[in-house]
Amino acid sequence: MTGPAEPEPFEDINQAVREEWVAGTTPYERVREVVSRTYAPTDADTLADRAHTSPKTARKHLNTLADDGFVTTETGANGATLYRRSAESLVVEQAADILSEVSTEELRDRIAEMRDQIGEFQQEYGVESPEELAVDQTNALLNESTRAGEEPDDETIREWKTTRRNLAFANAALSIANAEKFVEAGSQTDNETVSSS
Amino acid sequence: MTGGQTESHSLRGPIDRPALLAIRDLFNGNEPLATAKLDDFLNPRALKVEYDDGLRSAERSRIDVQWTTRNDYKYHYTDSEGVNLRWGRHPHNGDYIQVPGPEHYHPPPDASSDPSTVEESCIKQQPETLVTLAVLKLWRAAYHANSLTPLNSGKNPP
Repeated sequence: MTGPAEPEPFEDINQAVREEWVAGTTPYERVREVVSRTYAPTDADTLADRAHTSPKTARKHLNTLADDGFVTTETGANGATLYRRSAESLVVEQAADILSEVSTEELRDRIAEMRDQIGEFQQEYGVESPEELAVDQTNALLNESTRAGEEPDDETIREWKTTRRNLAFANAALSIANAEKFVEAGSQTDNETVSSS
Repeated sequence: MTGGQTESHSLRGPIDRPALLAIRDLFNGNEPLATAKLDDFLNPRALKVEYDDGLRSAERSRIDVQWTTRNDYKYHYTDSEGVNLRWGRHPHNGDYIQVPGPEHYHPPPDASSDPSTVEESCIKQQPETLVTLAVLKLWRAAYHANSLTPLNSGKNPP
């Protein structure tokens, strides 16, 4: 079996992988990658730091990415521009990834399954959302009235939030698939009308 | 009682599918021995990375990866010899007495969560690209050294 090559000697793993990353990518690629999964509004200096480039370069690329709709901007409390991944762009990206591997039929089944799962959480804990659950938990702790056994743990809350987020991506994928079908069907009908007349 | 403690040690935020996809591509693109797959393509809770070999005498191994929207994570190594260890990042309320920040390492052989044995992690950086490249490189260093020591020393001496 061909094993992986032995890595070059290194003194500090953080520096070693940082240098590897910087050597193998352009500043634009790193800025795009860092901001692609930045979901909380963040200033250009912080993003520049994470992407290992200068604030000036980061700002230039972030503004280009904002023009392209990949990033959304807002003005922070101190007047600085804050950047984060555009939710719309993220949803479209995930939907495309899903549609490249999953049939519409399977997607429908799985969406129903995820909806059921969320319904079960809602029924079991008597709240509409995991956020309400967290508030309930805090109140219970403050009142010291925690009843062991009936409290969902953090794992359950994360599972609920995760399923809700993935359901949103799956729903978007199904909507896009349906929209494409009708848009394509429409254009075909138009062609038929043209050819039969 | 440690019930409350466990809860305060949870990862913050939902598991992030986009991050798991990026991490999957890094494992598949950089490590010929690894095959990485989401545990569920549509509703993933973890990325499963199967290695065709293990560290030291182990013949197979696996790294399970979780990554949340708030950049908390777990990279859990387990192998056919029953060795477990884990790099993680999440708040621990100062319970891990040797760990000043959120990044920590649950040492082998059993990925101990005993607050006094959890170590500071050698991995300090944020973006998932760099954390994943670090895990890949540390695994290789340990593989060739035939030792688990490089996994958290963060060094690969000549």
